[in-house]
Amino acid sequence: MATLGSFSLLIALAFAAYNFFAGAMALWLAASGRPARVAPERLATTARRAGIAAFAAVTAASFALVWAAFTNDFSITYIAEHSNRALPGAYKFAALWSGQEGSLLFWAWLLGLFSFILNLRYKQDTTLYAYAGTIMASVELFFLVVLNFNAPPFSLLTGTPIPDGNGLNPLLQYWEMVIHPPMLYLGYVGFTVPFAFALGALIMRYPGERWIGITRVWTLVSWLLLTIGIFLGMHWAYAVLGWGGYWGWDPVENASLMPWLTGTAFLHSVMMQERRGMMKGWNMLLIFSTFLLTLLGTMLTRGGLVSSVHAFAESSIGYWFMVFMGIVILVCAYAYIRNRKYLESENHIEALVSREASFLFSNLVLLLICFLILWGTLYPILSEVVEGAKVTIGAPFYNRIAVPIGLFLLMMTGVGPLLPWRSTSFKTIRRNFVLPVIALWVTVIACLVAGVRPWAEGKFQGGDFYALVGFSLAAAVLVAILSEFLRGARVIVKLTRRNIFFSSWTLIRSNTRRYGGYLVHIGVVAAILGLCGAAFNKTTESELGLNDKMSVGPYTLVCSGFTQDSNENYDTEYAMLDVSYHGKQVFQLAPERRVYLASGQPQTMVAIHSVLFWDLYVVYEGANPDTGQPIIKAFLNPLVSWIWVGMLIIVLGTLLALLPTLKLNGRALAAGAKKSDGGN
Amino acid sequence: MPPTLGLILGFLLLIVLFLYTFWPEKTATGSNEKSEIDYLVERREQIEENLRDLNFENSAGKFPAEEYEKQRGILDGEAAKLTAEIARLKQA
Repeated sequence: MATLGSFSLLIALAFAAYNFFAGAMALWLAASGRPARVAPERLATTARRAGIAAFAAVTAASFALVWAAFTNDFSITYIAEHSNRALPGAYKFAALWSGQEGSLLFWAWLLGLFSFILNLRYKQDTTLYAYAGTIMASVELFFLVVLNFNAPPFSLLTGTPIPDGNGLNPLLQYWEMVIHPPMLYLGYVGFTVPFAFALGALIMRYPGERWIGITRVWTLVSWLLLTIGIFLGMHWAYAVLGWGGYWGWDPVENASLMPWLTGTAFLHSVMMQERRGMMKGWNMLLIFSTFLLTLLGTMLTRGGLVSSVHAFAESSIGYWFMVFMGIVILVCAYAYIRNRKYLESENHIEALVSREASFLFSNLVLLLICFLILWGTLYPILSEVVEGAKVTIGAPFYNRIAVPIGLFLLMMTGVGPLLPWRSTSFKTIRRNFVLPVIALWVTVIACLVAGVRPWAEGKFQGGDFYALVGFSLAAAVLVAILSEFLRGARVIVKLTRRNIFFSSWTLIRSNTRRYGGYLVHIGVVAAILGLCGAAFNKTTESELGLNDKMSVGPYTLVCSGFTQDSNENYDTEYAMLDVSYHGKQVFQLAPERRVYLASGQPQTMVAIHSVLFWDLYVVYEGANPDTGQPIIKAFLNPLVSWIWVGMLIIVLGTLLALLPTLKLNGRALAAGAKKSDGGN
Repeated sequence: MPPTLGLILGFLLLIVLFLYTFWPEKTATGSNEKSEIDYLVERREQIEENLRDLNFENSAGKFPAEEYEKQRGILDGEAAKLTAEIARLKQA
């Protein structure tokens, strides 16, 4: 399999190189009108087909690697390092993206797949697709060069053959790890498509904004997959790392968040370009930044430039990435400067209180937080270069900046939809903001009554203060969005004389993009509610003998046993805990600690009981070597479930936004109403 | 899989992909360029979309009457300009 895999990668490299160079040559010949022996159209056709051929060859290489994992071919170094005989099948498949070489191959395969899909639709807008296809081919070419010359996945193990592999990193042996990395990668790679179209449109000075419409689905889907990837990563960190939290501002977590932030900014500001021909240059910079940040994310995860619990593979490929990113920056800057006139806005912001201005403020804030996170993430590298000592920036720095900025963004999710385009009068503001402001103050009072008091115990409690602001803003935003929705639904009720449910569905179908977006905003509100719950976390730790008890919040944990077990993949020790809620036994938890046989590495398996109000989160810390009794750490984490509920709502909202819109016709609706009356 | 079989399969893959890439196509792909009129029509469609949104938001009671009239006037003016420009280009 190693021979077939290596050979396929070489074939893929040759075809990708042809795709790029012949594609670029065809575009240059067509643009310059120079005579050539081969017609540009013919050259472009072979270039496009070479792209498909490269994808087929990368598919063959990926298949060879997966096959090698399933057939335990430990003559291949990558398989020996990331798999073993006893590894369950799903994790053997996941070995494809568990190490550096495999994940780069996976990147190249996904990019090839996306190029293949685009190639099938090239007749839509031939020249624009040819530009985009050539730009994507350049990215594919880079990955294939790295795979062939710096990180070959099929290099053979030297010396005596080994009977079994080292196994997969225990941190990765969790069901979410079969989904989380592909989601992130799909998101990362997906953003290459809008980037390629944007750069292509800029280079060819594409008239109009249709390229945005062509890439809209790609942008939305990539954003969605990146969002799911980030949330799954949070859940994985929560369920596997055993520290009771879900976000530690680890460099690799930051690397996934940064393109998400710029991608979110792009999704919003691109609407201004579509609707009013504004912010063209800004949008170009946003999508360039997003693409560069996806490369940075891949480099941080796979290049080993910064240390992280997530950086599962480390090597010198970081330098290859830096060179490639440098080339991308130069090309983008050249194209931007050369074609800056093409990016001039057709309209300008007319008032500071308008939908456009709210998008711009949100954009600026998203970029600010992205820049601060980038600064914090790269600071250890910069400090080492400048001062000779690595200085790491910890979670408190990020929390200090991210929490207030996040709350401001939460507010904007409610303010934006209430503001009209162009300008807003005071009358309009009063009309649209009364209900949300009432909701805000009612929630402030309710929280104070319920005991959320920032000045409790004679000093300022930052956590409580932010939770109070978060809950109140969440209520205001929820009311803002619902009132905006109901206002629209009532118009449909008047037109159709049908019930509110039918009218609501008609309204949603009439503008899936807008109402899908509102649903996403509600998901953000739910997720932020969950994050606010962290202000009220409780924790306790205790060594438990048989029938010993410990309490956290309303729960009492009684140790009913502790034992050891083993299977062919790992040894485990765990405790059986009977859990009572307000004195009544309700369920049992079994936190455990595994030691994987192939690697000898330990791994905590947290036991979690989730309800909507809180999570009971129990960690087996290990056994006391003197007594042999388990040491148990229990957390009561309020509202955590709302983070995952928020994710589900965001997914639904984005899917809704992807549905085609039903063109509403006032007369048709009225006719429908008459018909319905006649029927009655 | 023995290395020789891997090599044979690799060569087969290479031949198939080479033929696929360079096999002459009977019909050449024509280019599908966008005209100035197409661009203006796109712009006008977007303004019509903006007008529909404005009318709907007005029906929902989002604006006072005078603000709605002002916004509508601006959008109607933009749409009229584009329609005139499209007509001029079609006649030319």
